[in-house]
Amino acid sequence: MKGKLEISERQKLIEEGKNLKEGLATLEEDLVKLTDELQLEAQCIPNMTHPNVPIGGEDSSTVRKMAGTPRDFGFPVKDHLQLGKELDLFDFDAAAEVSGSKFYYLKNEAVLLEMALVNWTLSEVMKKGFTPLTTPELVRSSVVEKCGFQPRGDNTQVYSIEGSDQCLIGTAEIPVGGIHMDAILAETQLPLKYVAFSHCFRTEAGAAGAATRGLYRVHQFSKVEMFVLCRPEESESYHEELIKIEEDLFSALGLHYKTFDMASGDLGAPAYRKFDVEAWMPGLGRYGEISSASNCLDYQSRRLGIRYRPSEPTPAPLKKGKGSLAPTQFVHTLNATACAVPRMIVCLLENYQQEDGSVIIPGPLRAFMGGLELITPKST
Amino acid sequence: MGLQCYFGGTTIQTLKLAAIPASSRFILNPIPKTLVLNSFSRHNYVYCPLRNPFKLLIRALSATAVQTAPATESLDNKVVKPQWKAAIDFKWIRDNKDAVALNIKNRNSNANLELVLELYEKMLAVQKEVERLRGERNAVANKMKGKLEISERQKLIEEGKNLKEGLATLEEDLVKLTDELQLEAQCIPNMTHPNVPIGGEDSSTVRKMAGTPRDFGFPVKDHLQLGKELDLFDFDAAAEVSGSKFYYLKNEAVLLEMALVNWTLSEVMKKGFTPLTTPELVRSSVVEKCGFQPRGDNTQVYSIEGSDQCLIGTAEIPVGGIHMDAILAETQLPLKYVAFSHCFRTEAGAAGAATRGLYRVHQFSKVEMFVLCRPEESESYHEELIKIEEDLFSALGLHYKTFDMASGDLGAPAYRKFDVEAWMPGLGRYGEISSASNCLDYQSRRLGIRYRPSEPTPAPLKKGKGSLAPTQFVHTLNATACAVPRMIVCLLENYQQEDGSVIIPGPLRAFMGGLELITPKST
Repeated sequence: MKGKLEISERQKLIEEGKNLKEGLATLEEDLVKLTDELQLEAQCIPNMTHPNVPIGGEDSSTVRKMAGTPRDFGFPVKDHLQLGKELDLFDFDAAAEVSGSKFYYLKNEAVLLEMALVNWTLSEVMKKGFTPLTTPELVRSSVVEKCGFQPRGDNTQVYSIEGSDQCLIGTAEIPVGGIHMDAILAETQLPLKYVAFSHCFRTEAGAAGAATRGLYRVHQFSKVEMFVLCRPEESESYHEELIKIEEDLFSALGLHYKTFDMASGDLGAPAYRKFDVEAWMPGLGRYGEISSASNCLDYQSRRLGIRYRPSEPTPAPLKKGKGSLAPTQFVHTLNATACAVPRMIVCLLENYQQEDGSVIIPGPLRAFMGGLELITPKST
Repeated sequence: MGLQCYFGGTTIQTLKLAAIPASSRFILNPIPKTLVLNSFSRHNYVYCPLRNPFKLLIRALSATAVQTAPATESLDNKVVKPQWKAAIDFKWIRDNKDAVALNIKNRNSNANLELVLELYEKMLAVQKEVERLRGERNAVANKMKGKLEISERQKLIEEGKNLKEGLATLEEDLVKLTDELQLEAQCIPNMTHPNVPIGGEDSSTVRKMAGTPRDFGFPVKDHLQLGKELDLFDFDAAAEVSGSKFYYLKNEAVLLEMALVNWTLSEVMKKGFTPLTTPELVRSSVVEKCGFQPRGDNTQVYSIEGSDQCLIGTAEIPVGGIHMDAILAETQLPLKYVAFSHCFRTEAGAAGAATRGLYRVHQFSKVEMFVLCRPEESESYHEELIKIEEDLFSALGLHYKTFDMASGDLGAPAYRKFDVEAWMPGLGRYGEISSASNCLDYQSRRLGIRYRPSEPTPAPLKKGKGSLAPTQFVHTLNATACAVPRMIVCLLENYQQEDGSVIIPGPLRAFMGGLELITPKST
């Protein structure tokens, strides 16, 4: 239509242009709808699975490692609730009135134990080159979703804030994952290794029964979490590093535990491979999960938009042009529990109880408790 | 009054409530026969939303149903039912009404004392009438026990029936009166210590000053710049992940937070305080009983969707709740707690330069002291608490002033309040780092915390076996031992060196693995 035309020709072209424009508008609308629907559906596709992961449900998970043996007590064993009562360490009743069930106050030496566990864990993990962090505990719901959680499903684990798009975090994995959202990191920055201390909040909707007594399943707890961002080729080795750090921590505290390679039916959607540690809890009479270490490959980074630019350009650059910047790639992310305080307290109280009702404090924690070696019953 | 309903800061546009006039729908005529509640001239619900007529509607709207409010909700003749009752001493208020009125004025409170007194008198009158009618009803019932003529019996049955109906109506009115009285009376602020200066913020007086502003000899940086150069915090990432006024602490700042908390807990425990960690989600009724307003405009309180729970703004709330509705033995007192928790505040309505960086944030760690004691001891515990605070701040080498807060600047629960402001050279002014309040029985009357004196009173009020002394309300006090972000501001700004490093005060070093200095990192 830019050239010189007869009026009738111009008219025909205008007509044609108009039809094309309308057809295009409709199609473009369809494209947007299709793209959106594709996105929603595809987001549900879980991560691929490591070839060594056992296929099946919970019972198919295999034991990678076992450390220690169940202690032989020689006297009737008390559970942590009874020990807590006798040693005046927690109050669930007052918390039920003030807040509801599955809330608690820690008191006296239990407070010192929590502080010691957090301080010691942070200190040990920092020695391994992790950067310590504290994080926001209120985050935008979109960040929760990008990490692979579902804030608004039925039986959601996530508390939402009224009148806001914010949620309470269930783990520091979420705010830490969000730090480098929509960023392009330099390869030299990797790996980024964080150890984050936060409170965590979970609705525990749908969780009922005996496995919820006392500190085992609560709505609010303190946790020290490790989070790694690395190059794809390194994520498997960092997974091994993370599980080793966890196992060293638990061994240092003298716990008896098993490390499981979780079966395909028991991985969360983001995890390519997941190692769970279950420690022996003599009061409960069974093993209980105290930590979880996941390699998420690029599942989270594709959602959070975390890329890096390799330092050396690829040998055959895809694009000609000045400079030779390598195309960006998605990082791999991993997360692992260094210390989930309430469950550690269950383990320590139940495993270290004495016949006289006192509880021994494991060696590594004593310096962080002003040298305290024993929690003893108080005279009332 | 606009028909907008602020719900955690979001205006709900879809509420089409045409018929809620600013004046109340309660009509109260002189009794005895018919009771209709009177309209009163309350026009301002801002400061005491407990009486907010929207409150009933807000409760009716669960969070999931926010978008579809009922088209018309008639609240005529319906008193907003208080969720809980404070044990307010109405008789004392009536007998001391001049002092109460002056106190309300000095505190710029919008409590309506006249209405409270009016409702109280009416309630007493209705109560008396109810008792009288009950007496008559019992007399009729007794008469019916004997042998009677049929016509006489019929008359008595008729009389009994009338009395029963009249009584039912009056009893209903009594309930409504009691509820309304409760809501109005809950707004009356605590009395004020005679030594408290009368007036606004500028009338607060300085009780004590310690230290002097440091003379630097080089240009002083604020904590934000220091934090950036020393890689101690990240506000930008937090703004993306969570919103403004959120932050990550990094590296030595994390160690500093842990050290501050550990050291403070340890020091306060040495003074005989029981350490606690607390729930950070609590029922909204507990928040109210402590004297806070979870659902007012510009509320400081975050609420949880689909639940009556809120996030705490201070550990004072869950600690105050521990002994709710309890009767303690006198020998248990005093109860002295030191609680560590995270705190969450919306900071709605707070804007401007005084909100930069760590000075005003939505989430922070705090170590809080809380005392429950016998009434005659609360003043001396107030002195003890402020002394503990001042010793902590002096030990950290801070320069600060302690203020006796003026009547217009006390919160409703506080009888007397001491605030400590520390010198923040980067901000170029003093900033509040702690607050210590004596609440007398304001909170305990709402939380229902009583104690039973060990020795019975010399002239027991009741004859009967045993001689248990009647219970009394405890007094409660609360005081900030350490508000971490503001302490970090103080320490960074005051201890900065010319080369950009920051000295760590002596007492904290043992809690930071012996670290003495925070130095710039080579990047």
